[in-house]
Amino acid sequence: MNDTAVDQMYAIAEQVFSAMIDGDVGPLQPWMGDVPAIVDPIVGWVDAHGGWTGRAALTTSRPVAYDLTRALLRMDAHEEVVMEDLVDAYGELVNVVGGNFKALLPASGTLGLPMVADTLPEVVGAVPMEGLNLAWRGHLIIVSIWMFG
Amino acid sequence: MKALVIDDSRTMRRIVGSLLEALGFEVHQAGDGQEALDLLDDGLEVDLACIDWNMPVMDGLEFVTRVRANPDRRQITLMMVTTESETGQIVRALAAGAHEYLIKPFTPDSIRDKLEMLGLVGSEELV
Amino acid sequence: MTLTTDSFDFVADLVRRRSAIQLERGKEYLVESRLAPLAREAGIGVDEYVRRVRAARREADYEEVVEALTTNETSWFRDAAPFDALRTHVLPAFARERGRIDRLRLWSAACSTGQEAYSIVMTLTDVLPGTPVEVLATDLSTQVLERGRAGRYSQLEVNRGLPAAMLVRHLQRVGAEWRVSDAIQRPVTFARHNLLDAAPAGAPFDVIFLRNVLIYFDLATKRAILERVRRVLRPDGFLILGAAESTLGVDDAWDRIPVARGSVYRPASRVAAPPQTAPFVAAGAAPLSGTSAFPNIPHQGGHR
Repeated sequence: MNDTAVDQMYAIAEQVFSAMIDGDVGPLQPWMGDVPAIVDPIVGWVDAHGGWTGRAALTTSRPVAYDLTRALLRMDAHEEVVMEDLVDAYGELVNVVGGNFKALLPASGTLGLPMVADTLPEVVGAVPMEGLNLAWRGHLIIVSIWMFG
Repeated sequence: MKALVIDDSRTMRRIVGSLLEALGFEVHQAGDGQEALDLLDDGLEVDLACIDWNMPVMDGLEFVTRVRANPDRRQITLMMVTTESETGQIVRALAAGAHEYLIKPFTPDSIRDKLEMLGLVGSEELV
Repeated sequence: MTLTTDSFDFVADLVRRRSAIQLERGKEYLVESRLAPLAREAGIGVDEYVRRVRAARREADYEEVVEALTTNETSWFRDAAPFDALRTHVLPAFARERGRIDRLRLWSAACSTGQEAYSIVMTLTDVLPGTPVEVLATDLSTQVLERGRAGRYSQLEVNRGLPAAMLVRHLQRVGAEWRVSDAIQRPVTFARHNLLDAAPAGAPFDVIFLRNVLIYFDLATKRAILERVRRVLRPDGFLILGAAESTLGVDDAWDRIPVARGSVYRPASRVAAPPQTAPFVAAGAAPLSGTSAFPNIPHQGGHR
């Protein structure tokens, strides 16, 4: 079975979401159709260095990032999410996804700390690589990978 | 039964902690290996430690090494819980003295399975 | 998206007719989660998927549905007791009774995606390195058999009941998955088999694993399956069931032998009492650890 990188990334996303968030496969699906611009985005990213250098990022809209946080922290649907919770939970999601992506690479290396903000800082010379568009409970989550030059 | 969850992510401490509580453990937490050692030095006695690998100040591998070097801490079962999934890394952890190894992401069932194998949790027939 | 009673009943009926497996009310969540991947492939919800299968009346669809529903959730050394029993009781019994173990043939019935079969080989590799071993792994579903043959498992699957030491010793990471080594794969043959049919080729077996599958059948069917199983088991062989299962009240042609936290079963028609001068337990020798479950063996050497 010869999976493409994107198939492997999807398999990883599916496992992370089913294990940590949803309890089963189903809520996470490939995004079908046109990809709209994300309104009020939250982006979490983690950089790798010492072998392969690059970045993995997860971008979604703020309400969805809050819902993911609630799911990870097993909070009720209407419980208030404070910034600290968002940064920690969404960051851990990025950390686990990024850590498993790193495992796909032949070169070893280490991940930095995950970061969460509303915009992604630029890295000069970064080359966009594979991307994956996901639908979680119908909401768009964009997975992006860059290699640093 | 008491457990110590060591991870620099509050979210992961909460996730692992609540799974262990559901299995009947009294759960204590630490944000890195040094904090965890300090708790043990201060007199905390635990049966199980679930340890992340990559943490600031003192990482999980170092914590495992230190605990295993101390004959008074023989009764603590040490389980790594980490995204590090290369065979070489797992071998390193086991060689350093970790008793078990759980790769993130994991399900509640997998933590349960590991703890059953280690004899820390009774087996229950799930269909 | 949620399954209607009508759709559930249709699926339960289909599955029962083709596999004798009973899906009672209360198992709706199981049907939904098992059919979700098929529904997803079609880009529709589970209930819609079932309605379409029903309307189209295609054999291929029916088979897919039955396959999806007749697989078991598997963990590797799910409930360590059977594998401990292999080590501490079954293999020592063969060694003692037969004099030596030349080769072993085992059957992992209802093997699902193969973890049990591979766990058996790992255990035997550990305890009897160099002894030729053959494991037949059977299941109703061609889908899970293909997965078993491939010997590749996801990160989540290898986290389930597989000791880390076994993982690093017997599997290699390949991309996002782990692959069972050639040495562990080689002794295992996967074949399609319905427990309701006559026994598979490969008899007689020394040990048969029939774990957590009898629960799906009614009493008469359980009995029939156990009879068929006994006919392909060596007279001195062992049957291993799931932790909460028993032949008690189902089939009285078995002797139950308590082993640690569980039981193993042997055909009742075999010679019950081993010879008094069992050569394996010489005077003054310490008994094998874990052999306190042998009621008929005189305890020589003054131990317990």
